Amino acid sequence: MSNTAEKIAPFEIPPISLPKPTDSITHYQIQQFLHLDAYLLDHHLLDQWLNILAPDLRYFVPVRQTKERKDRDSEFSTKLGHMDDNFQSIALRVHRLVNTGTAWSEDPASRVRRFVSNVSVWETDVTGEYDVISYLLLTRNRFYQEDYTLLSAERHDRVRRKGETFELVRREVRMDQSVLGMPNLAIFL
Amino acid sequence: MATQNGNANEDYAMLRKANPVLSDGTPIADLFNLETREVSLSTMYDPELYRVEMDKIFTKVWLLLGHATEIPKSGDYVVRHMGEDEVIVARDRKGEIHVSLNVCPHRGMHVCTAESGNAQVHKCIYHGWAFRPDGSFVGAPLEKEKMHGDIYPKEKLGLKKARVQLFHGLIFATWNEEAGPLEEQLGDMKFYYDIMFGKTHGGMEVLGPPQRLTIPANWKTAGEQAACDGFHTLTLHRSQFDIGNFGNISDTMEEFVPIMQGVNVADRGNALRCISAATTFASVIGSGEDFNKMSDDERLAKLPPPGIVNAQLLAEMKERLSPEQLHVCAVAPPQVGNMFPNVNLLFIYAPLPDGTLGSGYVVHTINPRGPDKFQWITWFLCEKDTPEEVKDIIRAVAVQTGGTSGLIEQDDSDTWPHMTEAARGSWGRTETLKYQAIGGVNRPEGWPDKANVYAGLSKDDAQWHWWLQYHELMVNK
Repeated sequence: MSNTAEKIAPFEIPPISLPKPTDSITHYQIQQFLHLDAYLLDHHLLDQWLNILAPDLRYFVPVRQTKERKDRDSEFSTKLGHMDDNFQSIALRVHRLVNTGTAWSEDPASRVRRFVSNVSVWETDVTGEYDVISYLLLTRNRFYQEDYTLLSAERHDRVRRKGETFELVRREVRMDQSVLGMPNLAIFL
Repeated sequence: MATQNGNANEDYAMLRKANPVLSDGTPIADLFNLETREVSLSTMYDPELYRVEMDKIFTKVWLLLGHATEIPKSGDYVVRHMGEDEVIVARDRKGEIHVSLNVCPHRGMHVCTAESGNAQVHKCIYHGWAFRPDGSFVGAPLEKEKMHGDIYPKEKLGLKKARVQLFHGLIFATWNEEAGPLEEQLGDMKFYYDIMFGKTHGGMEVLGPPQRLTIPANWKTAGEQAACDGFHTLTLHRSQFDIGNFGNISDTMEEFVPIMQGVNVADRGNALRCISAATTFASVIGSGEDFNKMSDDERLAKLPPPGIVNAQLLAEMKERLSPEQLHVCAVAPPQVGNMFPNVNLLFIYAPLPDGTLGSGYVVHTINPRGPDKFQWITWFLCEKDTPEEVKDIIRAVAVQTGGTSGLIEQDDSDTWPHMTEAARGSWGRTETLKYQAIGGVNRPEGWPDKANVYAGLSKDDAQWHWWLQYHELMVNK
């Protein structure tokens, strides 16, 4: 078939509405930053992980509901989350997990692996800050369980340059389940 | 085959009778030792018992489905569960709330496939049978052809309807035509629930749609804990002391005991821990003032309930509650507990990083999804007339404390699956749950004569009431 062939569709096809992504070097650097993020979390280096969080962090995992297609814009709650944190409350969570020895929801710790892919990076109105979307596939295995609980999600991050590296300013985790399939979020996404 | 089926049906008929007998010959009554206060651990998994519970409890009692503020407008609906049945909770044009089985009487398809939305007509996507928010049948396509048949009149073809009753905006429903009003089920505990939910003229509202998650455990693991298990606070929630959320760091368990002090109240399986206000004041605000020497009025001003953040709301509370109820609030406000069978309440008085008092209302239902699985639904509530900026703080603090990621409740939800796993074992199932730490009835001077009152250290008395109510429904009814 020739590449001049006409496309036939029952309706007018709109143009792709996504803005142009950033340059490949920045993309690569931010991808490495997300890998660092996942590595620190997967390896229980939670106290070190706090280094890559910005002091003005907002960390939000909105509650989701199954809606009719016409109402899809309101699937995610803008107000209520499974998690709704700032740096201070995240630091308290980490303190509990790392320093008390009595944080039973993660002791013994879950075996968690975070697979991060489909990274897209866009420049923003603020110099040195980028909007980043990544896909997350998280496997969690715990105690005697022979199978994994899975969590797949799309993460909408705001990332800010900080010296040679970056810090996480905002993370919104949009889960693909309306009913979470694990008994808690004692882990970070 | 016919004979086998016949036997299975007979077995099942046996299970439905008073004092039913399980197929291994064990009467359900034998799962309890009422004298030594023990319950067989097998109750935390047994699939046969689960089936009886659906019949004798979940189709008989009033169940909490949500809050009226989730569906404020005509046509608004949410889909919820009563036992394992999906129901549509919808508001009609007159503003009334209806609860209907989400099963099309035509071919059994779910009528609503979304979980929330707005519709004046719910049309089944399979063959197009249509229903109003009140469950009544509108009609089927090809009206002239009578595609709904001519055997039943339209009035007979509506969705199966449950009875509905509101309690301070909380939506309750039951399938039981013979059940008394909800107040009967709440018994003397209504006095305390009125304090929690009925303090202001504007009433409460939800702070968003509920969190939902699945826990691989029997519903009763969470159910019985909600009925005043104050003891687990010391060990399971030890980290809360270690990080300073329940007061200052101490080295010995004895120093944590104040959090277990207060007044447990229980009636008909409903129970609440009224935690000593002096303890909360000392651990959360800790200003050095002597709380014990203050009058009720002074105490309420220093330590108002969650959301009562200005003089207007405090005045409303004093207008709406009786002096007895205000006294309870001043001495030991109801904070943690349940409503039988599957509601869990957590009203938090929590410190904020700046030293002020943050707080929130967390309401759960424990929805059975099989003998080894339940859905854990979490609503976050606040007084409607609490200022918006305070609601934002309350919402965040409550989400950080209760529900999916709550620093307190994440430890609970990780514990319950172990109990159900343990109850599957040949020997595990022969173990018993023991409720033998008895405080006995003890009503402090000035405390109202409402429900069974157990003042002092939180022991097993109220939780045992939960099991007595369960026993009553499973064995005697």
